[in-house]
Amino acid sequence: MEIFIGIIEQGMIYAVMALGVYITYKILDFPDLTVDGSFPLGAAVTAILISNGVHPILALLVATAAGALAGMVTGLIHVKAGVRDLLSGIISMTALYSINLHIAGKANLSIMTEDTIFRNGLIQGLPEAVQPYTTMIVVCVIALLAKLVLDWYLRTKSGYLLRAVGDNATLVTSLAKDSGTVKIVGLAIANALVALGGAIMCQQQRFFEASMGTGTIVIGLASVIIGTNLFRRSRLKATTAVIIGSLLYKACVAGAIACGMRAIDMQLITAALFLVILILGKERKKKVKTHA
Amino acid sequence: MLELRHVQKIYNPGTVNEMCLFTDFNLKIEKGEFVSIVGSNGSGKTSMLNILCGSIPIESGQICIGGEDVAKQKEFQRHRRIGRVYQNPAMGTCPSMTILENMALADNKGKRYGLGRGTNKQRIAFYREQLSQLHLGLEDKLDVRVGSLSGGQRQAMALLMSTMTPIEILILDEHTAALDPKTAETIMELTDRIVSEKQLTTLMVTHNLRYALEYGNRLLMMHEGGVILDKKGEEKQAVRMEELLKIFNEISIECGN
Amino acid sequence: MKKVAAVMMSAMLAVGLLAGCGGGQTGEKTYKIGIAQFAEHGSLDNCRQGFLEGLKEAGIEEGKNLEVDYQNAQSNGSTANQIAQNYVANNVDLICAIATPMAQSAFTAADGKIPLIYTAISDPVDAGLANADKSSTGNVTGTSDKLPVDKQLKMIRAMMPEAKNIGILYTTSEVNSESAIAEYQALAGQYGFTIVTQGISKTADIPLAVDQLLPKVDCLTNLTDNTVVSSLDVILDKANAKNIPVFGSEIEQVKKGCVAAQGLDYIELGKVTGRMAAQVLKGEKKASEIPYEQIAQSSLYYNSTALAQLNLRVPAELSEGATDVAEQ
Repeated sequence: MEIFIGIIEQGMIYAVMALGVYITYKILDFPDLTVDGSFPLGAAVTAILISNGVHPILALLVATAAGALAGMVTGLIHVKAGVRDLLSGIISMTALYSINLHIAGKANLSIMTEDTIFRNGLIQGLPEAVQPYTTMIVVCVIALLAKLVLDWYLRTKSGYLLRAVGDNATLVTSLAKDSGTVKIVGLAIANALVALGGAIMCQQQRFFEASMGTGTIVIGLASVIIGTNLFRRSRLKATTAVIIGSLLYKACVAGAIACGMRAIDMQLITAALFLVILILGKERKKKVKTHA
Repeated sequence: MLELRHVQKIYNPGTVNEMCLFTDFNLKIEKGEFVSIVGSNGSGKTSMLNILCGSIPIESGQICIGGEDVAKQKEFQRHRRIGRVYQNPAMGTCPSMTILENMALADNKGKRYGLGRGTNKQRIAFYREQLSQLHLGLEDKLDVRVGSLSGGQRQAMALLMSTMTPIEILILDEHTAALDPKTAETIMELTDRIVSEKQLTTLMVTHNLRYALEYGNRLLMMHEGGVILDKKGEEKQAVRMEELLKIFNEISIECGN
Repeated sequence: MKKVAAVMMSAMLAVGLLAGCGGGQTGEKTYKIGIAQFAEHGSLDNCRQGFLEGLKEAGIEEGKNLEVDYQNAQSNGSTANQIAQNYVANNVDLICAIATPMAQSAFTAADGKIPLIYTAISDPVDAGLANADKSSTGNVTGTSDKLPVDKQLKMIRAMMPEAKNIGILYTTSEVNSESAIAEYQALAGQYGFTIVTQGISKTADIPLAVDQLLPKVDCLTNLTDNTVVSSLDVILDKANAKNIPVFGSEIEQVKKGCVAAQGLDYIELGKVTGRMAAQVLKGEKKASEIPYEQIAQSSLYYNSTALAQLNLRVPAELSEGATDVAEQ
């Protein structure tokens, strides 16, 4: 039971981040490596704010805004300076490593004793029976909220333009809109979600660690690829699929560890999982084509 | 209405591949003209359209739309008054979005793309009516992704989308070239209907000499960065296919083709 | 090689089976604990070894009445998290976390329900695992491996009377290194030294950073910085070429070729931690009742081969109790 709750907690936190990766990877078709820097950025901002007595919810919002700013910088480097997409992300990610250390002031900032969204007077006042589930509930509420806001946004005019730019930037130009600006907006939203994920992670774990961003993009991509490939043909919303993908990924990892798989083999498992899902997805694609 | 003055365009300036396409190119197009443009490969037809739309930069010269020099404007800014349909049917639509979403996207051109609802439900009837004019049955497939439509269906939608909002100039860049003959015919008829209905100033580049003769009220033939034939109105009506082919053959021999 | 491994594995299996039967016969309680280590690292490995020895001294022995689930997070925060949650789900009797991020993850995951014993943490107070008076912040306690900075400086002074500048290479993302540097800087003046630091962010930065640092210093001294220690060979090569001695911070580094170190005995540190864990497992004390312990006892380790190469020697006043760990 506890492992199940753990998977949902972790899966939902990373799902928020994965929604951001979904925007860049699937919608914008932009391999954005900023993620490895913006995830700990969210955590660093949250940790320093909370340790200075800022309300945990406000800390989440500021962290989200910081993420948006990071995404915007990646976008500006790409669009205005004409640097290739992959490289712009690498530049931002590299810079963020130092920036995060500056923000937090040190490489490991603990907020063990502070109030967080998961641990405060209100939640501790709840009856004993619900206590084991509070963290899971809070995480789920935030993740679903993030998903609903993103779903709503993708149905707005601005959201339509964002979906169009990754698909066909020429069309956006034809609509008399600057496709570069739309990309920057997309990257800002994506990294805002990633930083929000990092911020939630920081509050749940109750510390910021400079190296906590390492491999975030892999988890994000795994979630997006698993989710969108498994539910390719269903009528499920892509955002829902991504969340399920994140939960499945975490379940696989937890399963592997529980089965006694050693951590050094972890990356190999991830790679194998990637490959299997991609091959499965490809087969399905072929089928659709022959039908058509 | 539309004027190119003293346009100079050099490809790959400063490299061994430097190639001067236009040294002093001039062209004036009046409001309401439907200009068919023909010419061999490399004659500068598509480059001219790209220069007009701002897709490629020029070395010097003026590009005037309605008396205003737009040479400094970015491509997307110029598209406020320009609608463009490309050779590749995929360029004019958004494949991962539904027909309805594509229509709504195009319908909002010229307005703010803010946080309002993407698809205005009250406009759906209008979109249906517009789509029904294509006679392709698309009006009953509003929730189908455009990516699953055929090339001809997509091109018809692209044409509809690019002319849905008020524009001044319509650019057709070999827009029937990638279609089968029958679909091409349908798209051409549709084009003619839309252009005359909306009285759009139109530039159409085509390799199909028959379309060039049949449609439009002005005919341009380009060769090596210059206009070598320019017939308007009745003069254009008088041009025969044989004549056109003869000129074509002459310039081809000259080029050694 | 394969055969040896196979034989060893079968042997281990057999021992495991026998032990399982043995446990069943005596009816003695078998403890189930999780040992989670954040990174693969010589001194952390020693900690783990010492921890098991400490338990054994108290009568809790792996294979007899102890079942150990050992996991290594390979420096990945997300994996650390997962490991911690897995222990909680398996309802182990105790978690032993080695190194700071692992302890923090485990502390959050255990949430007071499972006792947590940590080790190899430089500053448990800063990590949020202990109060300033060394008392516990929850169902948690452990040992701290603060570097004996004062003794190290004293040793360097005794061995190099003329030296002025000590260079320290550190990773900007390792919090333990930062606090150690602060202490070095605070104490260096007393011995007439100036500390010159050079920060790096990844292994690849090391060769350049060493080249920058060497002309400015008379010797180098190491921290327990994971990234730097893992590239010790590169540092030693470059320093030896310039005849600049490198002082270590623990025995493993001296074995590799550092001239000398006032080193913590990580096995000893692990043993102390193991004894703490035994008290908790046997129910003698709760983790929350045990203040954390800082191990400050160090002993001098030196490498006679390295010393000879640099014309250095261990002065008489320090030689008592000093150990030569040079390999023949």
